[in-house]
Amino acid sequence: MKISELASLEPFSCVQGEYEDGEITSGYTSDLLSDVMGNAEEGSVLITIQAHKNTVAVSSLAGVAAIVICNDRPVPEDMLAASAEEGIAVFQTSENQFNTSALIAQHIGGCPAA
Amino acid sequence: MKIRADFHIHSCLSPCASLEMSPAAIVQQAKAVGLNAIALSDHNCGFNLPAFGKICEQQGMNCLFGMEVTSVEEAHILCLFDQLDKAMELGEKVYDSLPDIPNNPEKFGDQPIIDENEEILGFAEKFLISASGYDVSSLVTEVHALGGLIIPAHIDRMVYGIIAQLGFLPDEEFDAVELTAHGDPALALNYPIVRNSDSHYLNTLGSTHTDLELDAFAVENIRSNLWKK
Repeated sequence: MKISELASLEPFSCVQGEYEDGEITSGYTSDLLSDVMGNAEEGSVLITIQAHKNTVAVSSLAGVAAIVICNDRPVPEDMLAASAEEGIAVFQTSENQFNTSALIAQHIGGCPAA
Repeated sequence: MKIRADFHIHSCLSPCASLEMSPAAIVQQAKAVGLNAIALSDHNCGFNLPAFGKICEQQGMNCLFGMEVTSVEEAHILCLFDQLDKAMELGEKVYDSLPDIPNNPEKFGDQPIIDENEEILGFAEKFLISASGYDVSSLVTEVHALGGLIIPAHIDRMVYGIIAQLGFLPDEEFDAVELTAHGDPALALNYPIVRNSDSHYLNTLGSTHTDLELDAFAVENIRSNLWKK
């Protein structure tokens, strides 16, 4: 699926739309950013509740293309500014990390571990 | 004056700390192990700081009023003040920002608030180990506005250390970073280093310490001495 198609999932909203659209082929779900940095794949979508600007710094280093903030955690201004600068899309959802991961997995060809 | 300091000590208020950790016992032990400056730094609140201040004043112990804040990133950050009211103000804000999850004393331990005579005044209701609502950047701003020192705690630890939580040491206006006894100084990059015991029991007090040479015992003097080293 494309990054832009994340916005059409329910209940997702795009909160930072300055990014170059591209294909998402994998996802990574974690709230420990050192783990994200070491293990998230290039071009993946990061599913997390860590809504702050350091999530953007780590995503940029790991090559994460889009961030989905779960549980409707508020996204602060400095995170929006940093992600706009890095060209990383940010989405927000009221769903938790498990449900969000399951939903996105269906759209990128099912669960790779199955 | 020559200062031998341990700026990271928990009282009985922290559920993970021993109930023997009353302000009076802490000050007595600090003197016994040769410390002449200490800070009380309970998790995410300052409810035992007034009693700590009274005991330190009675006993002629230099003290800072602190707390160990859990940031949104779940990194532990020491916040230290030389003014009790400023520390209490931050303590109230941080405690208010904790989620409404009550402590379960059977699982995690009690969180008693005590006075200088070790009388129990009450208990902190919220679970103090939860993450506060402050991310690292906003905490830096808040602590500096209140005139305090902000120091990421035990940055070499794999649990609750800022490097383990974020993957890197962010570029912020930290006054220093804290290492455990044998933590690698290279992790500190260009920040000044302090080493403290992070005591939860009396017998570890002062086991690690920081030596300072100060004209006066105040936040400003500590900050400038740290950066001079």
